Amino acid sequence: MRLLQKTNRAYFLISGTAFAVAGVVFYFVISFFFKEQLNEKLFHDIKNITKSIKKNGHLPTYYPFIEIREVPAQSERSFKIIDTLIFNEFVQREILFRQISLIRVINGKEYFIAARDTLIEEDELLEVIAIVTGSVFILLLIGLYFINRKLSLKIWQPFYNTLDELKEFSYDKPGFKLSSNSQLYEFMELNKTLEKLTQKVISDYQSLKRFTEDASHEIQTPLAVIQSKLETLMQYPGLKKEQAELINSAYVFTLRISKLTKTLLLLTKIANDQFPEKRAINLSELLDDKIKMFEDHILEKSLTLNKEVKPDCTLETNFFLTESLIINLIGNAVKHNIIGGMINIKLDKNHFEISNSGEPLPVSASKLFDRFCKADKSSDSPGLGLAIVREICRLNKWEINYIYEDNLHKVVVNF
Amino acid sequence: MKILIIEDEKELVGVIKKFLEPEGFLCESACSFFEAEDSLSSYNYDIIILDLTLPGGNGLDLIKLIKKTNRKAGLLIVSAKNSLDDKIRGLDMGADDYITKPFHLAELNSRIKSLARRRHFDGSNELIFNEIKINTDSNEVFISGNVLDLTKKEFEILLYFIVNRNKVITRESIAEHVWGDNISYADNFDFIYSHIRNIRRKIKLNNGRNYIHNMYGLGYKFSER
Repeated sequence: MRLLQKTNRAYFLISGTAFAVAGVVFYFVISFFFKEQLNEKLFHDIKNITKSIKKNGHLPTYYPFIEIREVPAQSERSFKIIDTLIFNEFVQREILFRQISLIRVINGKEYFIAARDTLIEEDELLEVIAIVTGSVFILLLIGLYFINRKLSLKIWQPFYNTLDELKEFSYDKPGFKLSSNSQLYEFMELNKTLEKLTQKVISDYQSLKRFTEDASHEIQTPLAVIQSKLETLMQYPGLKKEQAELINSAYVFTLRISKLTKTLLLLTKIANDQFPEKRAINLSELLDDKIKMFEDHILEKSLTLNKEVKPDCTLETNFFLTESLIINLIGNAVKHNIIGGMINIKLDKNHFEISNSGEPLPVSASKLFDRFCKADKSSDSPGLGLAIVREICRLNKWEINYIYEDNLHKVVVNF
Repeated sequence: MKILIIEDEKELVGVIKKFLEPEGFLCESACSFFEAEDSLSSYNYDIIILDLTLPGGNGLDLIKLIKKTNRKAGLLIVSAKNSLDDKIRGLDMGADDYITKPFHLAELNSRIKSLARRRHFDGSNELIFNEIKINTDSNEVFISGNVLDLTKKEFEILLYFIVNRNKVITRESIAEHVWGDNISYADNFDFIYSHIRNIRRKIKLNNGRNYIHNMYGLGYKFSER
């Protein structure tokens, strides 16, 4: 639900209730005061009538508003205020009247005096009040809606600006700044907090990257020492088989760590955009070259290679990274293939497509490009190849997609 | 042949010396920027191994000094950074080759020997091991005078063996030497076995002896035994 919807709903509910209560109170107050007023007027009439009879002996009658008749003496001196229905010839129906009647002795004679006046009919009053309050309510709502809309849009504009800017935020782009210039305290606070937060995110990310880089560097030298010591140890004549196995196992794992740190370093460097040098690269040639590099592996697994490479497809980009991307993708296609499987490679000016036969993915396709995502948990490879590929694509603003169809794993890069 | 190893990690200097000295190299070392400056100004070397990350200064600055005092020396740069920038800048400034840490000693040895050959320090482009002769200019191999028909990769493997004769060479080191860093995509090293099988077969066909010995699970040793 949008903010405006929510406030409008609240306004509607609150003002609706307020108007309903006001209408009811209005009704009671109006009918009370009206009746009071009527009573007063009727008393006044009776006073005048009495005066007139005293003065003139004349008995004015103006049915149904005034009724005077002589009554026998000793009549009950009743004083009554009643509401009564009297038939009206004009409208041909009974109309509600308020009547005040009494017996009064004037000049020795007793008279029954009644003064009457029409009462507003309750349902009519109700109807009028409902219509008036209802229409005021509707007018108010319409007014509120428009004012609210306009005001909200205006007031909330800096908020939406900030939101738009935040959508553009990327933790690896330093120098992020919110341009919003609202004078409202809340938004100023919001922007201040957001700015602090984003700076923190950026600096944390930077220091994490630096850490990875430094750590990788620091690890290389000890690794070099270990590796070369093991290689020296191998040279000793008369090594027993068991000893050789121990050395080999330590050696293999040392190489694995060393490969891992090198790869992590590469990932960090790509993320740091430390490959600025670009030049026109003949992709077709590069691809052929790299395919050749893998020909032993392709032969080893008896893979069928289908190539549809258009000649002289060139691209203005970084050579090392493009090479890395191609090696990673071909490498994966070979590694995750089955014996006697196939690899299809297509290249034209805007696409590079590589597909290979193989078992369906044991991991979800969406995680495929994540760091340390590997098909076989016990595999020697750390699962960074596709993460590197994704980073390279991100840096070059290339689109990369993975699909599994016709029992083929297919990766498509759109340049 | 005199080699200067400029490297701050003494442990590494030790193993490098130990590996290279039996090859007939005379190794000296410098552990800091200033020590290196001192050695370079005082002596002449045939080959200089330079680690770019040195305490006391940037290794790239030393290249300038080397080009002044030891112009003829072959220069091999070692870096823990694996940074392309360093590599390009180093090579631009006159380094002959570049290797990243950690490296295989056999690979280092092969690079140094290749540097030496390219500069013809030993006055020859031929490597001879008993009946096997390799011409590194024409990339030809002879067994007792007969040309051995090898593929490019087989040639590279054999050359690597002969350069590192009498040393145990790991499969990983061979794979990296011939196929490059990216060999980690292989699940196994079967493709190396088949190449080595082919080399053995071809040498045998030409009545050569088999000098490639399996060393348990470690790798191979090219030797007379």
